Amino acid sequence: MVKKLADILEEKGINVSFQYGGKAPDEIVDREIKKEPHPRVKKLKDQYLNTLSSASMEFPYWYSRKFMELDGEVPEIRRAAALKHAFSHITPTIWPGELLVGGKTYHYRGSFPMPWESEGYFMAKEDELYQNALESGSASAGELSKFGSGGGNVTESFGEVTSIAGKFGMRNEDIPALIKCAREWVGKSVDDRSLKYQKMVPEYDIKEKLMRSVVCMFDSGFTLPLGREVINYYYPLQYGFGGLIDIAREKIAEVAGEAGGDGIIGMDRLYFYQAVILVLEGIQTWIRNYADEARRLAEGCQDAQQKKEYLEIAEIMDWISTNQPRTFREALQLTYLIHIATLNEDAISGMSPGRLGQVLYPWFEQDIEAGRITEDEVLELLECHRTKMTCIDCFASTGVVGGVLSGNTFNNLSLGGLTKDGEPACNRLEMLILESGITNQCSQPTLSVLYDEKLPEEFLLKAIECNKTGTGYPAWMNNQGGIQFILQQYGAEGMTLEEARAFAIGGCLETSPGSWHELTLNGKKYTVPGGAGQPTSVGVHFIGNPKVLELVLFNGYDHRTGEQVLPPHNKKLETYEELVDTFKEYYELVVDVLCKCNNIQHDIWRKQNMSIFHSLCKPDCLAKGHHIGDMGIRYNATYNVESCGTINQINSLVALKKLVYDEKKYSLEDIKDAILNNFGFKTAEEVGSYSLASQEKVEGVDKYDQIHSDCLMAPKYGNDDPYADAVLKDYEDWFCAMCRDFESLYAKPLYACQISVSTHGPQGAATLASADGRLAGTTYADGSMSAYPGTDREGPYALFSSATCWDQTQSQNSQMNLKVHPNATKGMEGSKKLLELTRAYMRRGGFHIQYNIVDSKVLKEAQKAPEEYRELLVRVAGFTQYWVEIGKQIQDEVIARTEYEAV
Amino acid sequence: MEEKKGLIFDIQSYSVHDGPGCRTLVFLSGCPLRCEWCANPEGMEFRERAMFRATKCVHESQGCVRCIEACPHGAVSSASVEERMLDIDIEKCKKCRTLECTEACLNEGFVKSGKWYSEKELMRVFNRDRDFWGRDGGVTFSGGEPLLQKDFVSAMLKRCRESYIHTALETTAHVDQEVLLEIMEYVDFAFIDLKHMDPIKHQEKTGVRNDLILENIAALARSSWPGRLVIRIPIIEGYNDSDENALASAEFLSRLGLKEVNILPFHRLGESKWRQLGMDYPYQEQEPPGDEILGRVQDIFLDRDILCYVANDTPF
Repeated sequence: MVKKLADILEEKGINVSFQYGGKAPDEIVDREIKKEPHPRVKKLKDQYLNTLSSASMEFPYWYSRKFMELDGEVPEIRRAAALKHAFSHITPTIWPGELLVGGKTYHYRGSFPMPWESEGYFMAKEDELYQNALESGSASAGELSKFGSGGGNVTESFGEVTSIAGKFGMRNEDIPALIKCAREWVGKSVDDRSLKYQKMVPEYDIKEKLMRSVVCMFDSGFTLPLGREVINYYYPLQYGFGGLIDIAREKIAEVAGEAGGDGIIGMDRLYFYQAVILVLEGIQTWIRNYADEARRLAEGCQDAQQKKEYLEIAEIMDWISTNQPRTFREALQLTYLIHIATLNEDAISGMSPGRLGQVLYPWFEQDIEAGRITEDEVLELLECHRTKMTCIDCFASTGVVGGVLSGNTFNNLSLGGLTKDGEPACNRLEMLILESGITNQCSQPTLSVLYDEKLPEEFLLKAIECNKTGTGYPAWMNNQGGIQFILQQYGAEGMTLEEARAFAIGGCLETSPGSWHELTLNGKKYTVPGGAGQPTSVGVHFIGNPKVLELVLFNGYDHRTGEQVLPPHNKKLETYEELVDTFKEYYELVVDVLCKCNNIQHDIWRKQNMSIFHSLCKPDCLAKGHHIGDMGIRYNATYNVESCGTINQINSLVALKKLVYDEKKYSLEDIKDAILNNFGFKTAEEVGSYSLASQEKVEGVDKYDQIHSDCLMAPKYGNDDPYADAVLKDYEDWFCAMCRDFESLYAKPLYACQISVSTHGPQGAATLASADGRLAGTTYADGSMSAYPGTDREGPYALFSSATCWDQTQSQNSQMNLKVHPNATKGMEGSKKLLELTRAYMRRGGFHIQYNIVDSKVLKEAQKAPEEYRELLVRVAGFTQYWVEIGKQIQDEVIARTEYEAV
Repeated sequence: MEEKKGLIFDIQSYSVHDGPGCRTLVFLSGCPLRCEWCANPEGMEFRERAMFRATKCVHESQGCVRCIEACPHGAVSSASVEERMLDIDIEKCKKCRTLECTEACLNEGFVKSGKWYSEKELMRVFNRDRDFWGRDGGVTFSGGEPLLQKDFVSAMLKRCRESYIHTALETTAHVDQEVLLEIMEYVDFAFIDLKHMDPIKHQEKTGVRNDLILENIAALARSSWPGRLVIRIPIIEGYNDSDENALASAEFLSRLGLKEVNILPFHRLGESKWRQLGMDYPYQEQEPPGDEILGRVQDIFLDRDILCYVANDTPF
């Protein structure tokens, strides 16, 4: 047999790491092997893989019942009482073999609708409520979005199960409750109530048209009003829920009847603290219900081991319903419950555990030291945690969950970074978290490394090893770049360098502010990080940049919907400068309209759907007595403008500049004619594929061949071509600054957020052909810094040069997806070289890079025979998802990405 | 001083198998050997040439005739109506120096292989890429046979040395000894390919005898050149995988005190390129050698204290 290099060198007595000096970590050798989770986790994971996404009406029913009952009550109290009622009534389910228990509903995998946010989108398509949603544009993106029909998605009704919101199965007996509940909220939901006031914005009709034409992907204030942020576990971990109730009681005694110098909302503190008590009581009941259920199961259990485990669960749940956790397992269980409680309080994607390995380290350290737990047991718990997190589903409209999120929930766990005093923050527990990502490969939590030059090689190579499983996590984020962005954005709210170091990634790659807290466990003090900001990725949700450019070319008219979306600019666009200026003017108009409407949505949200539980977890709500909506939280400048399709827009501008303005080979009319005629091609929908490579010509039309070829051959981003890169730099400098000119409802400046998630699929579907040669209906380039598939011909280094031609710290993020053939990363040297590649991009100022280390051939096979690839995970754009649960548009795009292969 | 120009048929960045660290790999056109298994046949001849990718051609699907109209030699014609596949007279193409078809084609059906770079142009690529190589990377000149363009390569190597860029060379060593030794002064790391120890067998499949190659390896090994030399041997079942040949190679290297060999299992990844050049690929049916063969050859070297790395499993 062939001997491995490491064996040969060892035989010859040569240190295996002689290339780099020092000793290579033992774990790195032999890493191409796939690992399995512990047997119990394997069972629980298989159970997940065989379970469909299910929606239940339990929580919405009890919530609505109490809420309606309390008509006229103070809003905070009404909301808290309804939450308490709903939490107390969740039927606890414990599955055999589980070490960590609890879930969003009694289903193993699933979620539930929240009609108090929006009540129309999950109804049947012929239902009046759905039709209304379509008309106002709030469901338009759903029409162009599709879920993958495989895996756990229920995209069609069957037997006694009805498919709702394009993804979930609901038992038919629940449907009458769904309809009754939805109708109760007509005119009262955040969606409906805010609509009334949005209409008072003078340009409101433009907003509706922007949504219908899918220039903008989705509304903000009633879809996923929270999330893409980092949870803060500190307060419950330090004080226990019982301790927090005591604090709230003391605070009530302090503030009842006192304005405290604030004549506007000072008196509200009383209601907030009372609401805190109500919600915490509901959550305590919810947790104790699991304890009761565990005891009930233990009673009838014949299996001695399982019986023992049930009783352990009962003991743990009882204890943590009130107290500070005593062990690592209790602490992990509690953080998981906090996570679920947050998700049940509001419609949320991207609620991220943040730097969980650093938060839980005190318990890990003390348990290991005392011999209470072994590393293998910790690994098993972490594997359980992964399966539990993967079972979470997010319930929102098809356009949002399918079109934007690809069904993903984005529970992002950050690793590495620096401590408060600037030392490497990674620890042994984080090594085990990476290991659990290798042994239990599933989509959640996704992992992010906060890359810093100070982080030790051993840790970085472990992360690379995890990349080599092909799951796409961890993603790599630039720690110093993130800190710079955080300091600039939150400086006005008192952000310091020390506190900036507490940041973590919320959602897929949203840089989110954090804070440090002193945690005491058994008399020993630790400094732990946690989230300290409002939700991010709220505000203006995904503007299709190529679509805006299309509107510029066609004087504001949308040929797909036949609507005059923006007021005609009536300019002749005679110079390139005029073209770019008009683009900027249109863009600013779009942002202005959307920003105003979204501010109203979020304002209605904070007035009637304010967050209580999530607020009390974050600094400084408990101290100030104000929830998030009243700016009780430490950092509030989190609202943003999201863009999509940047690279197609840049490439199109470059092609126009070269062909129309510089070389004058074509007139603008020529290009417009070619665009309207899709360069002589059929539409993507007719062809049934959304990638450029598989498009088909219309028989007998060759009139546009030359112009199409010239458009395709025009300079492209990603090749270190100064002609193209200058256009990108000009755009980025303008875009990042422009966003700051707009103000959120919290009177803070917006910022640029440049991630596509999955919106490049549906937004591409709504866009005509573009001057870069992209054809109508086909998907945009993913992310914001990835090249359009096949156009980066000079290799990754040239791509990196182009990507870093602008200052990425001016934006909350940027996104670079790279598909690497497994050949290029093989062996120990392959690992080191992948790390070198990552490091090089970070050093040049790239903010984010992530890898799909997968052979494209596998993906094509998986598209043909999905049933054989149930467990295949791929990196899409900031998240890892099961291949079979992704819509075809995005599948085609991932296949089409340029693959870097070293032959 | 006048800038020299080099004809390059490919540049690969993030090249991870051809020298230490992450590298930029430059493929230079022209080669004195005609190895029948060659994976880069477009680099055999020192000229720009057209390659035809049938999968990209839209003649059949859309009736495009742009290349037919553009070719002044009448090398491209539409064959029978039923087939509607491009019919290419490859003998005419081989003589063509003007490549009108590659300009005319809009779909990358006909593409030009080979591009002239000035020293400055290539240095610009290196200076860009070096930010991303990491600690151990650099450039590797490969081909074809890079030393066929010795003036250009030597000028580039000198520029690299001046710019602190680590250099590697992958050569057949089938060049004038003086040229080789002179150029090696500016090379930090070298691969020399060794196809067979038997001169007749060598000639059979590569078109040249191995005397010059063996002499050059010996001369380099005995010289004061301080760089690292790795001998690369493609393993082709039924041709050079015998114990006898492996033993002869190992003894040859032992005598010279050479300590590192990288054996490369034959693969068919170059096949489509032969087709695109209109050439028959003699190794179409040849299977890659199995682990058993590779392990056996590897052991022969290891037994003689020569580090033998298989394929990409190398310490660089």
